[in-house]
Amino acid sequence: MPEWIVVVLRSFSLLIILFFMTKWLGKKQISQLNVFEYISGIVLGGIVAIHTIDPNANIVYAFLSMFIWFIVPLCVEYVSLKSKRFRDFTEGKSTVLIQDGKIMEDNLKKEGYSTDDLLEKLRDNNVFLASDVEFAVLEPSGSLSVLPKKENQPLTAKDLGLNVAPEKEPQTVIMDGEMLLEPLANLSLNVNWLETELDKQNVSIENVFLAQADNQGQLYLDLYDDKLAVPSPSEIPLLLATMNKCQADLELFALATENQHSKQLYERNSKKLQQAIDLIRPYLS
Amino acid sequence: MTVGSQVKGCFSSIKSIEATLQTLAAKTADQEQQTAFKQVEQIISEVKNDLQHQVIQLTKEEPQYK
Repeated sequence: MPEWIVVVLRSFSLLIILFFMTKWLGKKQISQLNVFEYISGIVLGGIVAIHTIDPNANIVYAFLSMFIWFIVPLCVEYVSLKSKRFRDFTEGKSTVLIQDGKIMEDNLKKEGYSTDDLLEKLRDNNVFLASDVEFAVLEPSGSLSVLPKKENQPLTAKDLGLNVAPEKEPQTVIMDGEMLLEPLANLSLNVNWLETELDKQNVSIENVFLAQADNQGQLYLDLYDDKLAVPSPSEIPLLLATMNKCQADLELFALATENQHSKQLYERNSKKLQQAIDLIRPYLS
Repeated sequence: MTVGSQVKGCFSSIKSIEATLQTLAAKTADQEQQTAFKQVEQIISEVKNDLQHQVIQLTKEEPQYK
């Protein structure tokens, strides 16, 4: 057998083995690998490289060494899933660099971090003033996690005491002009509903590139033909506007009438409507 | 526009609000949201009943604009 065929055959077979091995070793990003996994990855690559370009090397040795470099990290991973102590040993522990707003100089020294390194990592997290940080921890992967002081944290609805409606994930119901049945069922909607909605907007399904529905049953469309204007869903904004208008109308009637009985009736209902608006507003925005 | 027709307009808007709320309550999958819609729908329906009486009364007062 000519040598070039040997090289081709070896390349293909080792490539396939390497593909499955890396697949079985898990879905971690390069940056998430610990030192051990990183090294075993390089060694696996090296073994494959040596045995593909050297036709004289014994292929059985290649399989053997690849198997060992594959099975040991796999076992380590499995055992560290089960045991916390083993995990601390193989993956390392996190180190607290800033606690209660104070920099821990000893820990910094232990990790071999200079003040510049710390400041750089803080800047990575959009913190430019070390005193803005309440707590910072250096993860085993080498990234720094930062908890800013409360006053420096972004404002949330909870801070404002706002009542917000729970939001469910929107579902993609049409992709490339094809209806997707499972996402539709997730929203407890059916094909009929989708057809009606499309009819309402005067669009044929072949022309729809992407359609998504939220959990209030509003449909957002993107068409192949970008010249056609698609109206955005108006039902919910319209509802709120109509409610506000009616509330204002009732107040106006209350002011205009001289009949005491009617005045009270209008005022009572205007208040009720205001109450209804306040109740429903979080769900409509 | 007479007062009667203004109140009538408002009455029909209220009816449309009620119907929209009903469809929204039927469409939404979230339990909490559904309860909120139904609660609001209840309030709106009370307002609607009150207004309906008012409309009838106003029609009696201004029969010429019926």
